[in-house]
Amino acid sequence: MSTDTDTVTTTAAPDLATLEAGQQLPTMHKFPDEAQLFLYSAASHNPHRIHYDREYARFEGHDDIIVHGPLQGAWLTQFVTDWAGPAARLLGVTWQNRASGLPGEELVFSGTVTSVDHETGVVELEIAEHTSDGRLLMPATARVRLPTA
Amino acid sequence: MSESLIPAETLERVGEVLSGPVTTVIDRREAQRYAYAVGDENPVYFDEVAAQAAGYRTLVAPPTYVTHAVVQPRTAADLRTDGLYREGTRIRLLVDRVMFGGEEWDFLEPVCVGDEITATARLAAVDQKEGRKGPFVRQVRETTFVNQFGDEVARSRMIGIAR
Repeated sequence: MSTDTDTVTTTAAPDLATLEAGQQLPTMHKFPDEAQLFLYSAASHNPHRIHYDREYARFEGHDDIIVHGPLQGAWLTQFVTDWAGPAARLLGVTWQNRASGLPGEELVFSGTVTSVDHETGVVELEIAEHTSDGRLLMPATARVRLPTA
Repeated sequence: MSESLIPAETLERVGEVLSGPVTTVIDRREAQRYAYAVGDENPVYFDEVAAQAAGYRTLVAPPTYVTHAVVQPRTAADLRTDGLYREGTRIRLLVDRVMFGGEEWDFLEPVCVGDEITATARLAAVDQKEGRKGPFVRQVRETTFVNQFGDEVARSRMIGIAR
């Protein structure tokens, strides 16, 4: 299972008092393999053939079976909640499917703080998911409320 | 503006309920199976003490899990060639192919283990746009999730791009 090699950020939760627009989040790396796609199909009750049948996926024009959009969306939420810490509350996310991730590819999540409301603790983020060779899969945004002192 | 790709009958369906309401109870085992499948082992999904220390009533589910929790059991006889289940209410468009364009989520209240969640999906919008590769249709399927207290806990908008 790919989780063994996933890198998970374990830095301390961000300090709202010193947080500013322009600051970058630590990157998160994911290494999906066939087993992870299978487990995600099962756990999300998703029987879509393009995630498990290589021949069918190619028939539909994909290079291989492809990583589920909602799995990448779930990683996007993990990227934010790992950074923000357990006392924060994720308020919203948006993502666009630009290209498909394939098993065996390294996927990299990076993000920048775009606004901070020091009174309410609401922080807005711009996020991108790329392959390690720089192909953009998902541009995304998130809103999260950090604890106020 | 090019010719309309949206038949009048489809425009009239904006606002229509496409599925639901369906109600399900958030199951600890299923929510944790999902978190493991994502590779997100946040203690608030697994450790009751950690969840309460973080301010939750009890174990919480991963944010977007709620949309998978409400998938109803279906017979394999309902699967199409592509592996997706046949939809009861097909939205007619004059296009060849619908792709997933993206999603937008609002998380309004935590969804905890044991919560009873009711989901209702509506056709929220169907709009024709002009893109670089010609006209396309953007259709939005909005699902609202309401808990046993009557609070709306989440809202998702799935965006389909058809051309």
